[in-house]
Amino acid sequence: MVATAPAAGGRYRAPTAATASGSPAPYVVSGADVGREVTRRVMARILAPADSEPPAHLEDVAFETIYAEQLRLSHAERDPRTASDQAFIAWFRHELARADGERKKELVYAVVDRYAQEIAGHFDRRVYRVATRVVPPALNALLSGLSIRHVREFDIDDRIVIEGETRALKAVARLGTVILAPTHVSNLDSLVLGSVIFRLGLPPFAYAAGLNLFSNPLIGFFMRNLGAYTVDRKKIDPLYRETLKEYATVLLERGQHSLIFPGGTRSRSGAIERKLKLGLLGTGPAAFRNRLEHRASRPSIFIVPCALSYPLVLEASTLVHEYLRVEGGPLYGDIRDEFDKPRRWLDFLRGLRELDQRVHVRFSRPLDWLGNEVDENGISRDRQGCPIDVRRYLIQDGSLAADDARDTEYTRSLATSVVAAYRRDNVALPTTVASYVFFQCFRRRRARLDLFRFLRSLAPESGVPVDEALGDLAFAVDRLERLEQEGAIALGKDVRNQNAAVLLEQALATLATYHRVPVVERRGSYLHVLDPSLLFYYANRLEGYALRTGQKGREN
Amino acid sequence: MSASVPIAVIGAGNWGTTLAQVIAARGCEVRLWTRDPVQRDEINQRRSNVRSAPGLVLDPRVLAVSDVSQAISIAELVLIAIPSRAFRAVCHVFAGVIRPEQLVVHGTKGFEIDSHRRMSEIICEETCARQIGALAGPNIAAEIARGQPAATVVASAFPRVIEAVRRALSSPSLMVFASSDVTGVEICGALKNVVAIAAGIADELRVGDNAKAFLITRGMMEMMRLAAALGAEPMTLTGLAGIGDLMVTCASPLSRNHRIGVALARGEKLQEAIARLGMVAEGVYASRAARTLAREHAIELPLFARIDRVLHEGLNPRDALNELMRLPAGRDVPRFAASPVAHAHTRP
Repeated sequence: MVATAPAAGGRYRAPTAATASGSPAPYVVSGADVGREVTRRVMARILAPADSEPPAHLEDVAFETIYAEQLRLSHAERDPRTASDQAFIAWFRHELARADGERKKELVYAVVDRYAQEIAGHFDRRVYRVATRVVPPALNALLSGLSIRHVREFDIDDRIVIEGETRALKAVARLGTVILAPTHVSNLDSLVLGSVIFRLGLPPFAYAAGLNLFSNPLIGFFMRNLGAYTVDRKKIDPLYRETLKEYATVLLERGQHSLIFPGGTRSRSGAIERKLKLGLLGTGPAAFRNRLEHRASRPSIFIVPCALSYPLVLEASTLVHEYLRVEGGPLYGDIRDEFDKPRRWLDFLRGLRELDQRVHVRFSRPLDWLGNEVDENGISRDRQGCPIDVRRYLIQDGSLAADDARDTEYTRSLATSVVAAYRRDNVALPTTVASYVFFQCFRRRRARLDLFRFLRSLAPESGVPVDEALGDLAFAVDRLERLEQEGAIALGKDVRNQNAAVLLEQALATLATYHRVPVVERRGSYLHVLDPSLLFYYANRLEGYALRTGQKGREN
Repeated sequence: MSASVPIAVIGAGNWGTTLAQVIAARGCEVRLWTRDPVQRDEINQRRSNVRSAPGLVLDPRVLAVSDVSQAISIAELVLIAIPSRAFRAVCHVFAGVIRPEQLVVHGTKGFEIDSHRRMSEIICEETCARQIGALAGPNIAAEIARGQPAATVVASAFPRVIEAVRRALSSPSLMVFASSDVTGVEICGALKNVVAIAAGIADELRVGDNAKAFLITRGMMEMMRLAAALGAEPMTLTGLAGIGDLMVTCASPLSRNHRIGVALARGEKLQEAIARLGMVAEGVYASRAARTLAREHAIELPLFARIDRVLHEGLNPRDALNELMRLPAGRDVPRFAASPVAHAHTRP
């Protein structure tokens, strides 16, 4: 046990002296280097109230970490990583009990350092160059179920539509540092976005990927080399969170474009994110302030929201089951994530290909870190179009000032703008439109049941007349077209000006492939729902746009 | 912020003038903005504001200006006291002058007509200001101007905004309490006026003190329900801006809203009452806003809906009370659990 603990019982070297605060060279970011800087800063913050020796705060932090980690590890899977973490925490606890002030600092330093090492990717610009040449074909091989025979059949790029404000994205990527903030639908998102970023000719984006993704050795390899750093969402102690946030801040500060998923995890219900996690999204103000203080060139930080719209979602079943299990109680059991089964990837991509379906990646207008829109010259504009000098948001008593409470509020305001952008750049596809309409057809028949009883009450025998669904579908398409003109949503080409009957056929065909059973099936002049959970999942993507026929009257 | 930096007060009405006076009495310079040059000259030359604050002798540190940039440009803290009807237009005027580092706090009680926006939302929409706060509470301006003891509450998500308002306003006769719930405080300020109309009706119908207490309490529960639906903290309603302001507004027969209630209970039409009183009470608009917001958020506000019908649909006040008494009596104090399924799906 002791052997796995880092330098068990040994003395850690004191934190390295402050690195020179000169302007760091942009786009040269190596994991280990950033890791050291992160550790130094987190330690400096913990030790900041240095009036007591050792600071009482230090001990609180240490105990909180022990408590949170022991709790996490008691539920963790038994694997080498868990064993190593357990050994480390046991060692830490044992040492802490008999440590003096200086030693306590060293011990906490060891924890932060360990976290920073875990988070740090192995990003290296030279490796990236090689990887970008190797990865696209290799990725396709991966996506085709690791069978060379299929490599030529599946070109992932061919299945992606890139739309929206791509020019603005390219412009701001030259004018400053970008946080790309997409909706999170599937584990494929990061691969899809990696491919899109490459195709747009943008420099690499660093991103935080869940620890679980690295357990797949092949994907883990690609991710590390494409600039991914690691997030373990199960670690909840403040020390870890602070280290992670600092890591993201340092990357931004050094001019490294970053990709974050502000929703935190894949949307379980299928709905667009409404509540965002403020942690990583909130790295903008601090990074911007540090860049100003270091007089970095092009100090601006831009946030570019981006909506991903899938006609079918690889892990839909797992995700919605998880949602229903959490919200609806024990009636929904555990099932295994499709993402871990390469065979399902093959089915999924074959589905997209055979039905000529595409994933839509739609970029929104760039925002500053308070959520104001930014023009093509990187200047923030208020709603009346007047330019805003964003540096002034950080000024207190005449000079730049750090203020966490203030910055958190700025980030809340940013989150509101990002959520609004998601809604506008969500692309309605035949499957989501039809699912929404079908769901409402069934739902209004059983309006008195709560959602979970309703879902369980749907048996394959229960059907709705096709004519009724067609009427509602025509209404929904009409309404969607008006919404698109107002800029409130985007439509796929198969939805815009589409005849309801054609849309219905296309949606039924798509919903009948890939998933274990067809989600909805036509039997004579009736539609029957075979997988209510999945219907709910796909319908949720269009919740909140008032597409229901019943809402016609209410609008006036 | 040193004492030498003047504070801007936008609007020289009753409340704006009073705020300027309180701040000046603390030793700070004030720039009081008014659109009207006659009023400006009256304040600067005669130290009086007869129309808005009769009898008040203004502190020499209050400088009235009618150029908005003169008022705002060097201030760190900007206080706005403009009626809700003119609020957006005035924000639009100073949008070109205000800077991102300035702190903006308003003391306006009401929603915007038609859009039902809160005042902080209007500031956010019309200007680049983000460090925003709201001031509310049981604050009859005349009492505060006389230096009688009082307490008020300033709400902001920014601790710095709260600190700035405290430095500007707090004194041995005015306690400034803090809140982080801007939405909640704004809802309190806007909706208590509707409850005051109900209290006026109850007084005039002589249905007794029990009935009046019952109406005020149920009114507060409905305010809580709406506050929770709009993302505010229901407990804010138990503070100065909620119960505090309700007690003042519903008790005072001089309150405009109370007088509207009395007039309606006497059988006057709303337009007659407004014409006779010579002023418009905020509650007349707030009832519309409450009803619309309730519909949007799918919650029921039986008292507010009936006051709204009395005001705008000619419902007889006594019938309204009878209707209320016949509703099923449910749980007294509701449970405000965060709804786990944030979906309109639950009830199509």
